Amino acid sequence: MRTGFTWRIVTIFVVLLLAIIFFVPNLANISWWPTKDKIRYGLDIQGGLYLVMGVDVPAVLRESSDRLAETLSNEAKDNGITLTSSGRDKSNAENLDIHVVTASSGDSDKVRDLLKKQYGTNLLVNSGASETELVVRYSDLYLTDLKKRTIEQSIETIRNRIDEFGVSEPSITAQGDNHILVQLPGIQDAARAKDLINRTARLEFHMVDTSIPQPQLASLIAEAEKIGQFQLKGMKYSEYINKLDDALKGKIPEGTKVLFQKNENAINLEAGKVPYLLKKEVPIAGDNLKDAYVAIKQDYNEPYVSLSFNPEGAAKFATLTGENVHKYLAIVLDNVVYSAPIINQKIPNGNAQISLGGSRNRQAMMDEAKGISMALRAGALPAALEQLEERTVGPTMGLDSINRGKKASLIGAILVILFMLFYYKGAGLLADLALLINVFLILAVLTALNATLTLPGIAGIALTIGMAVDANVIIFERIREELRHGASYKTAIVLGFDRAFWAIFDANICSAITSLILMHYGTGPVRGFAVTLVTGIFTSMFTAIFVTRTLIDLLVEKVGLKKLSV
Amino acid sequence: MSEKQREHQSEVHTPLKKEDVVNIDFVKAIGIWAVISGGLTLASIILIFTKGLNYGIDFSGGTEVQVKFAQSVSPEEVRAFTDSQGFKDAMVQQFGTGDSSEYLIRLEGKIGATDKETNENLKATITKAQDSIKAKWPTSEIRRIDTVGPQVGNQLKRNGILAVFYSLLCILIYVGLRFDYKFAPGAVICLFHDSVVTLGVFSLLGKEVNVQIMAAVLTIIGYSLNDTIVVYDRIRENFNKYKGRALGELINKSINDTLNRTILTSLTVFLATLSLYLFAGGVIEQFSFAMLIGIILGTYSSIYVASPFILLLDKWRKDPLHQPVSNQQRKPAKA
Repeated sequence: MRTGFTWRIVTIFVVLLLAIIFFVPNLANISWWPTKDKIRYGLDIQGGLYLVMGVDVPAVLRESSDRLAETLSNEAKDNGITLTSSGRDKSNAENLDIHVVTASSGDSDKVRDLLKKQYGTNLLVNSGASETELVVRYSDLYLTDLKKRTIEQSIETIRNRIDEFGVSEPSITAQGDNHILVQLPGIQDAARAKDLINRTARLEFHMVDTSIPQPQLASLIAEAEKIGQFQLKGMKYSEYINKLDDALKGKIPEGTKVLFQKNENAINLEAGKVPYLLKKEVPIAGDNLKDAYVAIKQDYNEPYVSLSFNPEGAAKFATLTGENVHKYLAIVLDNVVYSAPIINQKIPNGNAQISLGGSRNRQAMMDEAKGISMALRAGALPAALEQLEERTVGPTMGLDSINRGKKASLIGAILVILFMLFYYKGAGLLADLALLINVFLILAVLTALNATLTLPGIAGIALTIGMAVDANVIIFERIREELRHGASYKTAIVLGFDRAFWAIFDANICSAITSLILMHYGTGPVRGFAVTLVTGIFTSMFTAIFVTRTLIDLLVEKVGLKKLSV
Repeated sequence: MSEKQREHQSEVHTPLKKEDVVNIDFVKAIGIWAVISGGLTLASIILIFTKGLNYGIDFSGGTEVQVKFAQSVSPEEVRAFTDSQGFKDAMVQQFGTGDSSEYLIRLEGKIGATDKETNENLKATITKAQDSIKAKWPTSEIRRIDTVGPQVGNQLKRNGILAVFYSLLCILIYVGLRFDYKFAPGAVICLFHDSVVTLGVFSLLGKEVNVQIMAAVLTIIGYSLNDTIVVYDRIRENFNKYKGRALGELINKSINDTLNRTILTSLTVFLATLSLYLFAGGVIEQFSFAMLIGIILGTYSSIYVASPFILLLDKWRKDPLHQPVSNQQRKPAKA
């Protein structure tokens, strides 16, 4: 392909031009420039927070199924059918089957029809062990969709919470099918960010069961504590209510549980708590919440949290309040009762209030109101998040690292350039030129792809410099060999490039294979390294073979260089 | 064209030209080198399984804090501090150069009954570490904190092993397709040798192995192959050029022909990596150390391990490569 010399030069120019176009934003902000992206620096260079959160998807599926069991019970009742029982086999955490037992086989047929009408293909209804039993579960398609929605909603929620922080380029993405990766470059207050992300703020509404008066309830609890030898102090709140639930089985009505509200004057739950007997059913939850903000109660000048629901939630809320006038509705946040106001009338517009209560100083109440509304407004998490991995890099650390990294890469590059110059002289100079173009191309490609340059990535560039000249070494050695065999310069050059091509190609492909595998399995800085390496492999194939060859041809044929020192 | 003429010339029995100054008989000493390489590999495997690798928190989980103190603090002071805070088995290491002002402190989170508990413990550990360090040394600066929970640690370990496995597999297939299936095992054994001995050195020196080191191992696998391919390519060319010659002779000639290439290409990467090792510091320093070992091993193994393996395989198999049957159906030697 020694013809078409012109288009080779043109190709190189076009490539260089494109590279310059993409690269310039890194150097200066020119308003009319066609491209805007700069190179992104990884967290290890910028500093910031890197979090991997695990989403407890199985728990979501379980809860959904449990909620469904309750809902089925009520729906059946609405249609005049009383179910003997409806519930999941709780002992098996993986099993999502709901066993619905009816009074007669006729009833079970009615239920089957009812479910088909209401839920269609979302539910799988099969016969159970006997004529009167049905086994109901969500279809796999529905479950897969639910999983996806859970992750997406969690990501959305976290994103909203992070927005409050004003981080410049937050990155919140799904990793695998149950992890979420949160990257917050340059964040100042990592502790607060983590706190906000971790805060579950699970909002649930429960009807209060007033069948057991307060004092009796309190003494039941005290008794259970004494028998079971446990108390809230020294254990987690969630553990405590579970233990209590077990201990009070049979003593409290079926389908109820006990949750607590912090005593007005106490500093925390441990110091003083008020028990509430609540129905387990959750008619409305946080996912129906549209907005939550701090408002001031006119008469006492007290802050409170005002909630409003989305249309679906407002409809549910209207039904709920309509059916339960003069009953109490508990507003529960993370299993803590915040408020249990009486329902005076049906509320059709979907607005509710969380009163903070207490005569604490206004500032403390304000802070609390803000905290709750922020967490609520940013969305309630559909599932509990578990923090699996955290890496925080301080700002000075990153700066230090990148300076040293740049210095080391530069020295490495100079060593290689000098070596090529001394060992291959004239040809070496050309190789060095190609090398510089190579580095420039790598940076341009990374900018264009909006890839992230990490610290190992900078090391990767240094490595690529060393590897890129390998191609030239192979070619030049081959040329030397052919010269020794007595070929003319021109022939030697042709042979050198042709013969060496496949070896270089195979070698680079193998390096590319391992780099691509590393890119797939790597995370964070290592991934940045792999991306840089892969980019370098491809650009170096271009520069070492195409560019160098064109330059040499240019000199030997066009400029008429008789002898190229190699 | 003179090119075609020359090729035709060589098709006929041509005496192997005494090409260059270099004409070392590598293949003759194959026995000795096999023992050395085999011994190194075996020793490394034994070391890895007995002494074990010093897993960083990436693989074993835990918390690592990098602290820079404004004043000079002795290691004993730091250890006393970690003890007083109840961080049992904390590892305190001085970091960086000379002045004793920067430290790496590695803390284990209390292993809970479930992974969830361990994660929570780790979270608590971070806050505690941060607060207590700030309390005792207000002017200190926490440069970096890394925490890895047990699930992620296991996943990273698994991914590392899978990555190495798949790389070796892909290379096996690729080399087998592009050259000859007899060439492939030699290449893969060569790479296996390189990565295992590198890890063996890390085990011997007790150096920490984390994800960056695994990345280095993978890079070594990809890169060390370059040398091997250069030799293989020459063997392929010589094989087609000098028909009827003994395979051993051909291999020898090929290695000799490409000797300066093999050494020089490794030299350039060695120079670049050396600079990284000396000047970059931190995580890159350990990474480049692994690369340096890998490069040296890679060069050595391309000469002494990969090619002789072809010979070995050839001797075992019923259809030896060096029979004068022309293998025209294979790709003509282009390089």
